[in-house]
Amino acid sequence: MVNPSLLIAIPLAGAFAIPLVGLGSKRIAKWIPPLALAVNLVMGLTLFPKVIEQAIIISIGGFPPPFCINLMVGPLGLSLGILISLIGLLISLYAIDYIKTEPTEKYHALFLLLVTGALGIVLTGDIFNLFVFFEILCIASFALTAYQRDRMGSEAALKYLIQATVGSTFILIAIAFVYGLFGTLNMADIASKIPSAEPIHLFLTLAFFVVGFGVEAAIFPLNSWLPDAHSSAPAPVSAILSAIAIKTGVYAIARITYTLMNAQGVMLLISVGGAITLLVGEIAAYSQKEDIKRMLAYSSIGQIGLIVFALGISTSLGLFGALFQLLNHALAKCLLFLAAGYMISRAGSKKLADLEGLGKQMPLIVIAFTVAAFSLVGLPPFAGFMSKLSIVCAALETKETSYLALIVVALIATVIEAGYFFRLVQRLYFKGDPTTESSRPRVPEAPAGAMIPILVLAGLIIVLGIYPQLLTGALDLAAQELLHRSQYIEVVLGV
Amino acid sequence: MQEMANSFYYIGAGGLILIGLYMVLAKTNLIKIILGLSFLDTGTHVLLVAIGYVRGRTAPIFSEGMSETTAVVDPVPQALVLTAIVIGVGVLSLALALSIQVYRHYGTLDVRNIRGLKW
Amino acid sequence: MRKAIAFLLVATVGAAFYVVLGHIPFGEDKIDVANHYIQNGVRETGAVNIVTSVVVTYRGFDTLGEVTILFIAAVGIGAVLFTEKKARDEEPKQKASLIVQTGTNLLFPFILLTGVYVFIHGHLTPGGGFQGGAVIASGYLLLYLTWPDWRINRRRFNAVESLSGLAFVVLGVLGITYGMGFLANFLPLGTPNTLFSAGIIPIIYIAIGLKVGSELAGIVGNLMERE
Repeated sequence: MVNPSLLIAIPLAGAFAIPLVGLGSKRIAKWIPPLALAVNLVMGLTLFPKVIEQAIIISIGGFPPPFCINLMVGPLGLSLGILISLIGLLISLYAIDYIKTEPTEKYHALFLLLVTGALGIVLTGDIFNLFVFFEILCIASFALTAYQRDRMGSEAALKYLIQATVGSTFILIAIAFVYGLFGTLNMADIASKIPSAEPIHLFLTLAFFVVGFGVEAAIFPLNSWLPDAHSSAPAPVSAILSAIAIKTGVYAIARITYTLMNAQGVMLLISVGGAITLLVGEIAAYSQKEDIKRMLAYSSIGQIGLIVFALGISTSLGLFGALFQLLNHALAKCLLFLAAGYMISRAGSKKLADLEGLGKQMPLIVIAFTVAAFSLVGLPPFAGFMSKLSIVCAALETKETSYLALIVVALIATVIEAGYFFRLVQRLYFKGDPTTESSRPRVPEAPAGAMIPILVLAGLIIVLGIYPQLLTGALDLAAQELLHRSQYIEVVLGV
Repeated sequence: MQEMANSFYYIGAGGLILIGLYMVLAKTNLIKIILGLSFLDTGTHVLLVAIGYVRGRTAPIFSEGMSETTAVVDPVPQALVLTAIVIGVGVLSLALALSIQVYRHYGTLDVRNIRGLKW
Repeated sequence: MRKAIAFLLVATVGAAFYVVLGHIPFGEDKIDVANHYIQNGVRETGAVNIVTSVVVTYRGFDTLGEVTILFIAAVGIGAVLFTEKKARDEEPKQKASLIVQTGTNLLFPFILLTGVYVFIHGHLTPGGGFQGGAVIASGYLLLYLTWPDWRINRRRFNAVESLSGLAFVVLGVLGITYGMGFLANFLPLGTPNTLFSAGIIPIIYIAIGLKVGSELAGIVGNLMERE
């Protein structure tokens, strides 16, 4: 059986080796990230059947937990790990030809380290280790946002840095509180000692954690950095940030709320926060006319709001819906940003009005874009339909008026989302000057290195839409792991 | 009064954190905001180390001649602070490099004028 | 307006501090995990500096992450401040006075020696890889301040940085091949309080010391080279 700590060690070693290899040959250095992430993907898939029966606990350093840091490779962690490796692999293939600003090997090292940080966050079982890997993710994303050294990128990265660092300080303060109250940092150990603390202290600690992780997860009102950062970064960086980085913030909040603190009382507050974020994000996206990437960034804020809203419905179906929506949004938003990268370079500008008629010039890319857009809105033959349906059903099942009111808000937001996506797709296909594009010579839409990830993602979205049964078993197990915290404590501590 | 004398370190750490938070939120010079981030970091580190202190005990190093049963303070917060200091150094150096880059483009360090990205 | 909102937020956070910290008694013993480290640390890891054994063995994964963060900062600063043109045609900056130059010539080897001493003896005295590396980098800062036109050899420093980082990960993976788990202490522990004790802890600290020293020197170099 492959040791799961290699899931983090191999990308890390690859990232350290990239500058060395880059001194010799830059062309080989560009291929190290896809190679390392492909190995990770294969390892993750082979580990998955064993994890379904019994979660794997690896202690780093050889001592038993809680006296050592341990990796908790359960259904939730490994599913997210496989998703992160897959999306990282596809985006790194896209970036081989897209990134041309020097010094390129530094870009690839930073990218691989961002993915390593994300993998560490979902696989660890220790709260301070979570903080360290979270910082790895954040610092790599600051450097990547400013990578092209242009005016907008540097300003956006600086604003992102200042807000995210204040958030990290709040997380560290919360860890100090946890250590002072409980004397340990292992997640399962803290979970078993929770009943001995007073509710007001737990609530304040949870508040600090949510504010700290909420900056990265872009919960209203902590999300003012996201539209700037995601729209000014180069296309593959926007894709990885929207698809993976903000999701790790949501994962951290879910882990702390469910497994660590068992905070049943604040679930409604979390749902309300999610619904407000959803509404604000979608309304802001509707009003964007100047910049397609900014519109997609606001759409990310909205979708995170939806996932957080579903997280607050603490039933098995609600958590299943949240995880499925997380997966679908990762696939769809990644595809949207990657396609937008080449669409912008073909049209020469980011304005929505200048993208008219691209449907005829770049048929494959625009079809993929449309598939992702429809999946995000939730139309039937695509993957997004099942996830949104599960969330709505879960909210109706609770039969509480507050959740019913919030579902109405969510449905209004979905209608607004459909509005701006349909408007864009209509522009792409049905407008534009017919004379100019017939006189232009046929040039390939994008290099093969970019077309493969785009088409693979579109294919995955369609396949998942028709056969969601492929993944429902795994996601169900992951949702169960989040709900049954006593089982988590038992597996880790053996008590 | 005795209570306050006991929690002196907590008050100091909390004060540093609050000063840092105020600087980040209210100041308009970029370098002052980054200094505020540094205050936040330092305050949090002092808070962590203060939580680990146990009255009347000494440093956790069993040097030559010390018996195995000497009472020592808690080593875990000190290890956490080691890691946190290095993280803070990494973040602050990146912040300063980004400020150099922003100054090259905008020519000013006043946060109210660095507004290239509109709504 | 902005200051009013800032005051309000600061007051709220301060109130939260008062409530939680009032409950955490200052100067009292916390329970189990720390006591286990204190009582069994020397026996299980061989290092007499318990903080070192916590940092490298019990919480070694955090140290790996920390080393990675410094690497990201160094690479990120190199990418953000990268310029294509070489600034050779600037007018030469003024060198420091003769006293400073002589002093630096005398002091620099001793600063390097102190840094190496601190990280090699990390398991016996207070200190370790990060502290030693910072001392080494301060020696290079002194060189920059005395001779502002001098530049470090960028390729050599990058090579040292990457090799030591790889060495740390390889040491961890070697633990797996010896069957004890990632980052386990697979070398014999030796007698406490001697230089050659504590298994792989001094080796890891040497790798960290070299890495941090070269990284911080590189960061200082990047920030001081203008235009």
